[in-house]
Amino acid sequence: MSDDALVIEGVSKSYREVRAVQNLSARLPAGSIYGFLGPNGAGKTTTIRMIMDIIRPDSGSIRVLGQDSAARARDRIGYMPEERGLYRKMKVRSMLAYLGAIKGMQRSEAARAITAWLDELGLSAWGGKKVEELSRGMQQKLQFAATVINDPELLILDEPFSGLDPLNLDLLKGIMLRLRESGSTVIFSTHMMEQAERLCDYLLLINKGEKVIDGTLGSIRAGFKSNAVSVELEGDPSFVGGLPMVSAVARAGARLEAVLEPGADPQEFLKALVDKARVRAFEIKVPSLHEIFVSLVEEKK
Amino acid sequence: MKKILEVARRDYIETVKTKTFLIGVLILPVLMAVGMIVPAKLMKKSFEGPMEDRHLAVLNLAEQITPELISAFTDYNKSNPQRKIIPELHKSASGKTDNKAQELKEKVRSGELDGFLLIEPEVVEGEGRGYLYTKSMSDFEFSHRVVRLLNNAVTNSRYRLNGLSPELIGRLGRWVSVEDVDLSAEKEKARDKIAMTMVPFFFMFLLFFGIFATSQGLMMSVIEEKSSRVIEVLLAAVSPFQLMAGKILGQTAVGLTLVVLYATGAIMVAARYGMADLLTGGLLAYFLVYFILGFLLIAGFLAAVGSTCNEIKEAQNLMGPVMLILMVPFFTWMYLVQHPTGTLAVVLSYIPPITPMVMILRIAARPDLPLLEIIASLLLAVSVPAVMWAAAKVFRTGVLMYGKSPTPRELLRWLRYG
Repeated sequence: MSDDALVIEGVSKSYREVRAVQNLSARLPAGSIYGFLGPNGAGKTTTIRMIMDIIRPDSGSIRVLGQDSAARARDRIGYMPEERGLYRKMKVRSMLAYLGAIKGMQRSEAARAITAWLDELGLSAWGGKKVEELSRGMQQKLQFAATVINDPELLILDEPFSGLDPLNLDLLKGIMLRLRESGSTVIFSTHMMEQAERLCDYLLLINKGEKVIDGTLGSIRAGFKSNAVSVELEGDPSFVGGLPMVSAVARAGARLEAVLEPGADPQEFLKALVDKARVRAFEIKVPSLHEIFVSLVEEKK
Repeated sequence: MKKILEVARRDYIETVKTKTFLIGVLILPVLMAVGMIVPAKLMKKSFEGPMEDRHLAVLNLAEQITPELISAFTDYNKSNPQRKIIPELHKSASGKTDNKAQELKEKVRSGELDGFLLIEPEVVEGEGRGYLYTKSMSDFEFSHRVVRLLNNAVTNSRYRLNGLSPELIGRLGRWVSVEDVDLSAEKEKARDKIAMTMVPFFFMFLLFFGIFATSQGLMMSVIEEKSSRVIEVLLAAVSPFQLMAGKILGQTAVGLTLVVLYATGAIMVAARYGMADLLTGGLLAYFLVYFILGFLLIAGFLAAVGSTCNEIKEAQNLMGPVMLILMVPFFTWMYLVQHPTGTLAVVLSYIPPITPMVMILRIAARPDLPLLEIIASLLLAVSVPAVMWAAAKVFRTGVLMYGKSPTPRELLRWLRYG
């Protein structure tokens, strides 16, 4: 397997006057979980559709699984579009068999995969029912099964978490992690930063069609030291606001959130606290992706 | 190719097993049978079935015709004992329309009489006229009958007054019967006028139904995939062209199934009534060729239309003009069957969407239609790839567009850059 499951180079796409994606480049190593992050309208769905060769970029190139178009690798990809859709009038098993067949699966192979997935998702009893008879939650599970029926090398999920109930959310995360364990690559887009923070090996943050930053979670965070500290003290903490290295203080339950002056050393702050009170907890806050995103977008302006 | 076949297979199976399809298959023959048999039966009943005696008052001011009038009714009632019309002859004292007429009209109004016939004095000379008063103008048969009986009586009176025998006149005026013989087929044979016009129509109708019902099914299925948003899932597995080709192929199979079912039925019926030789192998072969070409043309067009619509309603608006063109053969078929080589027939043969219908009509009406003409009409075959090409372009862009339907200018852009 080549090292990069996906290479995007200088891709742009406009709809009339609206620039949906501008000069986007990214590499995505195989065997990882990769998150496309950005607010609604950032260009995530457009990018994913271009990766899938459902729409064509105005300029730039995209290589998927070593091919110069996803059209040549369709059978090795599983794709869940943002707009979910199933054949409502078809029976569960025959619909999955059809989706497997157009992914190039043999009938027997597809039948085995269907049985296994329906079992795993707790839908075995529903194989002969029409899709429209299933509850919403079951239809969500069926949509996963339809996406992964061909055991894809590359799984692309557009906003996979939106609208999921909590049980299905965990189920989907489990499937994503397991596919990665077995060597597959997972790409998903989301506007929910916390979800991405917990799952992703690599991240791409985009806003208004342009890349804000990409890389591993660690490397992105390394560039963003925060000067926020959370402390818990015994006794009256009112003195903290008067310390010279502190620029602001806010109470958060039993704790204090202190923002230090730029360039202040948290170590000095800790010493100053220890001199005046007993310290129960002291935590240098790691910036959340959300905070990083917001500060980067602010910076660009 | 395998993917195209998989798409075709699903579309075929899912269409053929729906209730709509089964009902559709059954409904057409039933409708046709009902449409042909019921009016004929009703007609027969209103002209021949038994009825209660009808009472007709006759105020006859033309005394000369009285004997003939009486015998006309007597003869009629003798040969139609179940549908008698009983005349009551009245005399007018003054020889003019007087109170008597008013009284009889009143009796018709009250339902006491079924009708009142007033005969003016100068009918024999061809000056006067008759007036028939009835309550229901729509009892066509009754008035028709009375008019005939009156005219018989008047004519016979004239013969008598001129010294001629009605029997002699009848003998002298007999018609000579002429048998139509058809030379367009290999064997000489007597021509059955009704079969000669109905068979071409039947084939044209079958072609229309097969093409139209199934290509409309195709359009519905495209819209359904679009509105259920399953289309993007499919496009992750197949290209838009594969999807469209597969769907068209699947629906062609549906159409062929329908047509084969009906054609088999028709051949069985034809065989039973001894008309099997009207359905030649050549005709059936042409039918197949025209069916497939015509279907591909319309189906390609409707697939493209379906791809630009979000709802069936929108599509139906766009279908209006298409329907209008497809109806042209229905407005003109009577003429075309009688003039299969006329200018109108030739011109209509070169309008691709209706070429198949017009041509099958012409070939069925004139089995010896020149081959050159048939080949020329297959110009249609050239337009099929053109329509497919354009449809594939529109389809590719259209299937992912939601919201408002594209304007004609946008469509042109899709064709150029799609």
